Amino acid sequence: MTDMKRRDVLRYSAAGAVTAATAVVGIQAVAGPGSAVGGEKAAAADPRDFEETYKGKKIKGKHNAGGKDELHINNKKLALTVISTLFIPEDGSEPYVANAYISAVNHYDPVEIDNDKNKEGLKKLAKKVVDMLGDLELSDEAAKAHTH
Amino acid sequence: MAVVRKNFTAMTSAEKTAFANALRQFKTTSANGRNYNWYIDQHITFFARTTDNISHAHQSPSFFPWHREYLRLLELDLQTVSGNPGIFIPYWDWTVSTLPFTSDFLGSVTNGSVSSGNFSPAWGWSLYRSSIATSFLQRRVGQNATRPTASQVSTVQSRTVYDQSPWNSTVSNSYRNRNEIELHNRVHNYVGGHMGTREAPNDPCFWLHHCNIDRLWWLWQTVRGLDTYQPRTGTTSGVVDNNETMRPFGAGRSPLAVHDISALNYSYA
Ligand SMILES: [Cu+2]
Repeated sequence: MTDMKRRDVLRYSAAGAVTAATAVVGIQAVAGPGSAVGGEKAAAADPRDFEETYKGKKIKGKHNAGGKDELHINNKKLALTVISTLFIPEDGSEPYVANAYISAVNHYDPVEIDNDKNKEGLKKLAKKVVDMLGDLELSDEAAKAHTH
Repeated sequence: MAVVRKNFTAMTSAEKTAFANALRQFKTTSANGRNYNWYIDQHITFFARTTDNISHAHQSPSFFPWHREYLRLLELDLQTVSGNPGIFIPYWDWTVSTLPFTSDFLGSVTNGSVSSGNFSPAWGWSLYRSSIATSFLQRRVGQNATRPTASQVSTVQSRTVYDQSPWNSTVSNSYRNRNEIELHNRVHNYVGGHMGTREAPNDPCFWLHHCNIDRLWWLWQTVRGLDTYQPRTGTTSGVVDNNETMRPFGAGRSPLAVHDISALNYSYA
């Protein structure tokens, strides 16, 4: 977690820097990052849509605009809950509030995911769950949602 | 009977055995209308925002008093089921390196599983509502997080504001939220496996962990004042006020009702 957190913080600041640079060049914020690269390709490349193998398990993410993102590990559903929570970087930098996902499995370990800088968080969460499962699989209990 | 909750490292081997056996007995025998799995059900139900639109157990000011009442009830039930009024919930001070995951106590771990001895299926421990498909209790100690250090604990303990609006997981200047995230969540993640899940009370170390959280809140109270829960009486929606009943506990079991542990038949050594 220590390493992961540190990486998060680096990525967080790096993304912030990119946004600032873009603003200086003068691209309208409303145009979004996709349109700058050009239409469909960018849309198809949403990092929350993926299907790949990680440590021998199939991880599958699906982004639903306006709906709930979905995650499956070896075809077993993991219900996701969106929360807003405080993150306290271990390097001593300022705490910040961000959107994050928790599930039955990472119940106390929210992973930052949003529509902006942290779209790849869904895959990061998938890998975290696989690491935690080891040789095991999710049960049907993991598919049951609850609200926060 | 009033009990003294000790650090698990100060327990005699007879006390460790009695505690483990009482938990096992409570898996299969009811006491006071509850059994062990009732506790797992409550943890899952009240982690979520319930139909009263209140978050009773986590990510809210009632995090501390809710778990205080939850542990007090379990302690009482373990005493009842075992017929041993001296049973107490020990605490695990995670700032020291001695761990409770030993074969004579909470069970030893092999490749992430408690596969034999205490708290294994063969010993008589079954899992309930596990989100991981297994019959073996899972622990991945240190894989996902480190233990809080003594200085990190004292930094959290030195916060002066109990909690404040918006009373959830986003508050920065809040003893409750900083303890919940920086100490409580972190230790759940440090142990990993079932302790990292919604059904965390499947792992008996849940009780030792929360006992230490309760002890830290008590230490904080002895410095800041016993009746310092926020929000006070009133109409704050979506949270439990000082004199409001905490579900699923009985009528009148409010934060105020549990603020003084000397009225709850236990103390800390
Ligand atoms: Cu907990």
